[in-house]
Amino acid sequence: MTKYSRTNKIKFQFFALMLGLFIFGCESNDPQKEDTPELITKATLTFTPEGGGAIVKVTASDPDGEGVQDITVDGAINLASGVTYTLKLSLINELAEVSSPEYDITEEVKEEGGEHMFFYAWTDGIFSDPTGDGNIDNRDGLVNYQDEDAGGLPIGITTKWTAGAASSGTFRIVLKHQPELKTTTSSVDTGETDLDIEFEIIVN
Amino acid sequence: MFSGQILDERGNPLIGAAVVLSPTGKGMVSDVNGNFELNEICEGRYTVTVQFLGYNQRVIELLINGKGKTEQIISLQPDVQTLHEILVEEKVAHLETTQNYAVLSGSKLAETAGKTLGESLTEISGVNTIQAGPGIFKPVIHGVHSQRVLILNHGIRQEGQQWGAEHAPEIDPFIASNIVVVKDASSIKYGTDALGGVVIVNPAELPEEAGIGGTLNFIGQSNGRSGTASGLLEGGIKNHDGWGWRMQGTGKRSGDYHAPDYSLTNTGIKELNFSGAVGYHDELKGFEVFISHFRTELGVLKGTAISNLDDLIAAMEREPPQSTESFGYDIGEPRQKVSHNLLKLSAHKKTDNGDWRVQYGFQNNNRKEFDIRRGNLAGVQSIDLKLNTHTIEAEWETPHEGINSLCIGVNGMYQNNNNIFGTQRIPFIPNYSNFSGGIFGVAKFIRNDWVFDAGGRYDYRFYNAKGFDFKNASYNETLTFGNVSVTTGATKQIDPNQTVAINISSSWRPPHVAELYSLGTHQSAAAIEYGLLLNDTTNEVMNIKDVPFKIERALKAVSTYKRQWRNIQIELSGFVNYIFNYIYLRPTGITGNIRGTYPYFRYTQTDAFFVGGDLMAVWNLTNRIKVTPQVSLLRASDVTNNDHLVFIPSNKYELSVRFEEPDQYKLKRFYVESKLKYVAHQGRAPRVITPRQIKEASEQNIKIFSGNNDSFDFMEAPEGYALLNLSTGFSINREKVRYDIRLAAENVLNTSYREYTNRFRYYADDLGRNFSISLKCNF
Repeated sequence: MTKYSRTNKIKFQFFALMLGLFIFGCESNDPQKEDTPELITKATLTFTPEGGGAIVKVTASDPDGEGVQDITVDGAINLASGVTYTLKLSLINELAEVSSPEYDITEEVKEEGGEHMFFYAWTDGIFSDPTGDGNIDNRDGLVNYQDEDAGGLPIGITTKWTAGAASSGTFRIVLKHQPELKTTTSSVDTGETDLDIEFEIIVN
Repeated sequence: MFSGQILDERGNPLIGAAVVLSPTGKGMVSDVNGNFELNEICEGRYTVTVQFLGYNQRVIELLINGKGKTEQIISLQPDVQTLHEILVEEKVAHLETTQNYAVLSGSKLAETAGKTLGESLTEISGVNTIQAGPGIFKPVIHGVHSQRVLILNHGIRQEGQQWGAEHAPEIDPFIASNIVVVKDASSIKYGTDALGGVVIVNPAELPEEAGIGGTLNFIGQSNGRSGTASGLLEGGIKNHDGWGWRMQGTGKRSGDYHAPDYSLTNTGIKELNFSGAVGYHDELKGFEVFISHFRTELGVLKGTAISNLDDLIAAMEREPPQSTESFGYDIGEPRQKVSHNLLKLSAHKKTDNGDWRVQYGFQNNNRKEFDIRRGNLAGVQSIDLKLNTHTIEAEWETPHEGINSLCIGVNGMYQNNNNIFGTQRIPFIPNYSNFSGGIFGVAKFIRNDWVFDAGGRYDYRFYNAKGFDFKNASYNETLTFGNVSVTTGATKQIDPNQTVAINISSSWRPPHVAELYSLGTHQSAAAIEYGLLLNDTTNEVMNIKDVPFKIERALKAVSTYKRQWRNIQIELSGFVNYIFNYIYLRPTGITGNIRGTYPYFRYTQTDAFFVGGDLMAVWNLTNRIKVTPQVSLLRASDVTNNDHLVFIPSNKYELSVRFEEPDQYKLKRFYVESKLKYVAHQGRAPRVITPRQIKEASEQNIKIFSGNNDSFDFMEAPEGYALLNLSTGFSINREKVRYDIRLAAENVLNTSYREYTNRFRYYADDLGRNFSISLKCNF
């Protein structure tokens, strides 16, 4: 670069800066309403029994988002002893338009399966399969994942469960966002939390 | 007997110059005629050292024979650099009514080159920082910061997004020829908000005569593997006396910093600043145009990106932090991108009726913050704010001949804050416009050994805030505030070596919009913040008339005592600051949402009390060895709730020993310095409630905050720590260029420590050993 053009460039930058300062000096401050696609306001758990039967559906919702109001759950999960269920999760942001890609967060999680994983925990004995109490306190705990990401690691939008003997307890789901962190050993302590909800569970 | 006379470069007697005879140690100070006399001296060889502030020290070899008299006339040459420093101080003192201030200038300022403004200021006793990792420092004066410390850059109130604890002042420290910290609240000329003090960043005067000069700085640091280059060029214009110009620029690039045992991933910095000034000055008038641009991009420690309480539990119990990798220059999310532009026009004129000064400032501040986000939002800014501020000031001061002076003036400000659309989040703070106006008067009288000063001002502020609440429904609110500030002070010159000053001020500040309407989660804190005007239960925005809001007002008294002996100077100051209706974030409860459990904090008011003292001393042990102890003590409490306040700097003790050799062969101004800094444990910290305890309480449905809203902290205050720093430097004079070379090592012993006022102490250790080399060319 010649000396001449360099000075010119500096002059131009100064000029542009001055002009910019004055143009942006005065303007209206009416804010525009933002979409809020990150908010999950509703999580629905759908347990479909194998070989037909009544579908079990429970929902956790938090319509006030960052407000002081606590999350609400619309009841306990009631499962029948000995029956095997497929559980599908649905995460919805009711503040987004139904047609917008931000409405169904489940889709987004699926597309970014390589950096997301659901972890599950429940009261020991609730299920006959998987056995144990889940993989939140111990990553090696058994969970019957029915889906996987491109790298062959589980995601957990779809899972399989067989209810054990009649009993009651809790059922907890945690979704972790683990960009560049998800591995065969990454646990519930890895990454940041996108979802953490707990339900009552009853096996009859 | 040895006697003589001390003269300046023009042959005028110098009064009060110190004459010391080694090895006897005998000495005296020259009298009003510059004469001195030393009696009862034995035969032999001696070294005479003559010192006078602002003049180069002179050392003479002397041979005394028998009982004969030896007489000598000694003339001193002025030390251009220190004289300049002294002049600047006098100018500052003249502009201000204040007596309780400290100055960072000359070699002391030069030795901080490469550090941020906030970090440089910690050289001054009584000044600390609130830190968010290795790149973000906010100055804290006597325990208060952010909205309670006013920063003036080139005489203009710095208006950025100072409400956030992780928002550093947007100023290039290389722009300053000196930085003044006013520790009392007397600087009422500049408006509200100076409850704790004022930081004044002063440039050098523009040159007035033809010729060109400048400096070049290069600094390399091992920690962060950073490089900084800064240059300044200035000059006058041939055949146009009085005209001067200056251009200045700084570039900085740093990678990940490291703690003693691991890298602090994603803490790199990119910074690029430039400024230019042109002006005309003569004895009666002058004007100046100044323009500056500051731009920085800085990474925030990766391991601080958390979401809910469980994440915070994991992050606090893990070391090194999550996502720690080996060194890199990449800056990823979370990160901040900030730019600040300033345009200043100023003029002054001296008339028989007094001095007139007017100035206009325009500031444009842009702040973008990027969190780790999901899906299409990865890389989309979650905060995007543009703040434009216009300030206009006019003042009149009585002519300087009289011993009494009066200064009156007005200032006005129009400010507009906008959230830039596209963050896809409910904005943390609303859009607002702000009209402010103030009028002030400051008077100064001199009676014998006393200087008295008094001043008062009235300010008015209007806000119109337009934002969205938690439901994403819009609100539009109008608020007004108005009140007075007063200050009074006196200084007594007890004798030529002793002065005592006291100042009492009462000043107020309008609340910041962020304190009224904040809504949102800080990604690094796992805490939700609610503003003062959000309803406790419904969270809806309320009218200020329906809230028991009271104006925050400080009553601060500071007293400074200065004394100098032949080889010791001390400066001792004590202060009390009672802040009524002090606005702060108080833990209020726990809330759940789909992401998990969060504690929430609400802006609340209380009465806060700060008391403390600063000591600085310089002891010239010999001509070449200087010992400088420095102490800052502080105690703060929440009076209303009989509780402690969080993030209050602990007591700090420093001791530096410096060996100086002004002139040795070709090396000039050689020095070696060792500095030991001890920062005590903060014993007066709020109770500790760990995230685990909050989580367990929430699971058992125990309302941990009901009935006891005392402040709390997630972690115990860290242990006290001691750091050792070493540095050495010298100058080489060539025909037209002077080179200053400096080598330094900080945290020499590679001590692992955590600083209580660093908000990232929950996640990682503070910085490990750092070597730096700096080269400065003056031409």
